[in-house]
Amino acid sequence: MRWRPRDLLVIVPTFAILFVIVFPVLWMVFTSLRPASALAANLPVGQWFDGLGFDAYGRLFNDSGFARYIGNSLLVSAVSTVFTVVLASFAAYGLSRFKFRLRGPVLLIVLATQLLPFVVLISPIYLAFSEIGLLNSYVGLVVVYVAMTLPLAIYLLLGYFDTIPRVLDEAARIDGCSTAGVIFRVVLPIALPGIVTVVTTTFITTWEEYFFASVLMTGEDLKTVQVGLSSFFGEYSSDWGMIMAAATVATIPTILLFSIVQKRLVAGLSAGSVKQ
Amino acid sequence: MSRPGRQALPLVTPALLVIGVLFLFPGVYNVVLAFQDLTPFDAPGDAEWAGLANFQAVLTDPLVGSAAVNTVFWLTAATVIIRLVIGMGLALLLHSRVLHRWRLRGFARTAVLVPWMVPPVVAVACWKWIFDGNTGVLNQFLVAIGVLPEGVPFLAQTSTVWWSVIAIIVWRELPFVVIVLLAGLQSVPEEQYEAAALDGAGRWASFRHITLPSLRPVITVVVLMTVIQTFNNFVYVWLSTGGGPGTYTQVLATQLYSKAFVANSLGEGAAIGLAMTAVMAVFALAYLRVSDRGRVEA
Repeated sequence: MRWRPRDLLVIVPTFAILFVIVFPVLWMVFTSLRPASALAANLPVGQWFDGLGFDAYGRLFNDSGFARYIGNSLLVSAVSTVFTVVLASFAAYGLSRFKFRLRGPVLLIVLATQLLPFVVLISPIYLAFSEIGLLNSYVGLVVVYVAMTLPLAIYLLLGYFDTIPRVLDEAARIDGCSTAGVIFRVVLPIALPGIVTVVTTTFITTWEEYFFASVLMTGEDLKTVQVGLSSFFGEYSSDWGMIMAAATVATIPTILLFSIVQKRLVAGLSAGSVKQ
Repeated sequence: MSRPGRQALPLVTPALLVIGVLFLFPGVYNVVLAFQDLTPFDAPGDAEWAGLANFQAVLTDPLVGSAAVNTVFWLTAATVIIRLVIGMGLALLLHSRVLHRWRLRGFARTAVLVPWMVPPVVAVACWKWIFDGNTGVLNQFLVAIGVLPEGVPFLAQTSTVWWSVIAIIVWRELPFVVIVLLAGLQSVPEEQYEAAALDGAGRWASFRHITLPSLRPVITVVVLMTVIQTFNNFVYVWLSTGGGPGTYTQVLATQLYSKAFVANSLGEGAAIGLAMTAVMAVFALAYLRVSDRGRVEA
């Protein structure tokens, strides 16, 4: 590699900018590991790394309801993801294989729901849910999350299904497969990368959701991770170590899942927005 | 019903039913609510008709007016423009030959994506801590280098609060813009730049006359998508400032929530929601027109 002094004009600013971009996350993890006494004091840089440990995580799991919130979020996100993937698989298969007359309008409706402001739906959904007893209920939040994530899931899967040759469907049918059999035994295994993408994006979306969870799940025992974390802002506003520990824990699943699909998600986004 | 219709029906119906019940029904019910007088504790059946009273209340409320201005200028226009400018700069940097030569492209791209892997609530938490008036690292840094005599509560004083909220939004939502613009840059044929260079065009000239025109469709899509995502946003303002100090940073989404669930007037909240939907419909239609996915093959 030929080293050119001029390259530094690009390399140095790039690293400076990347540092600013990554800093808040590094600072979050670092803060979560520092002793509470160090956070209140204005220590010189030399003492920043003294006494690092997991005390804040101990306070988080022993003194707050965060473990419970994690359980709630895992349950709601996992169940929502299963329902979304199954419903979206059926719908995407139907839209991919059968050119029925209302296909265009159906696709348009699915796309339009993505553009609707979610916030606007809160009052009607709140009222309807209070009428039928779905407030403070896992079922209620799951239903909202399934509806919220279905449109994108259908679109993603449709893209994958369209690339799978129909000959395979027909062969399976001749061997006696039902439509569900064709979907689960033939199409889904081939579209596995697509399924992985849908599972991860759906899980991340529902795991990160704050607004509906905060309005529909008000019971202390029913808070999700994001709502729980936000409630710490006021409650423990002096204990930033614990808040950053909670924030770190809330980020672990999204970083893990994101790293699985990063390449595919970026490629998909690029293809979707840039006309080739 | 036609044969393909009969076959598709059982497959498509369950998903459509969920989407219909959770989107279409509340969407329509929201219109009804805007003409009703109702609190969150009433049964929907007890609602009284309010005529245009909700709209009148909302339109004459100076708080709603300032929330609308804040939403348009600070929350949406400022963050979208800043995202676009910084995003373009970063995309050009990530696309540069130098990073490629040093084999740093992959690393740099992953680093740029980091804020996107962080849930929005976590993003707000991180920045609240950085901005903290007493022990926040930004204040410690600015005091240490002598820029400030003492710590500033960035999120609690009117002179800095909007720029601080903007910093949070731009930080979290920048990766999307960078990725899409980068993909746009990669789709511009290299030969065009070579031809321009032969004709003696400098860097600025080729950016101005080749890069920008080629990216125009991509930029249009990015602007529409970010406007649609940001205009309705609730979580950033609500969790970073709660609409304060006072009511200084109220936006339409937080006003909707406050009217409906704090002032307990679902009707007024619904009226704000209806206005928001109308504004967004314009952008959504524009998006459907320009986006690839909008041209649904019938």
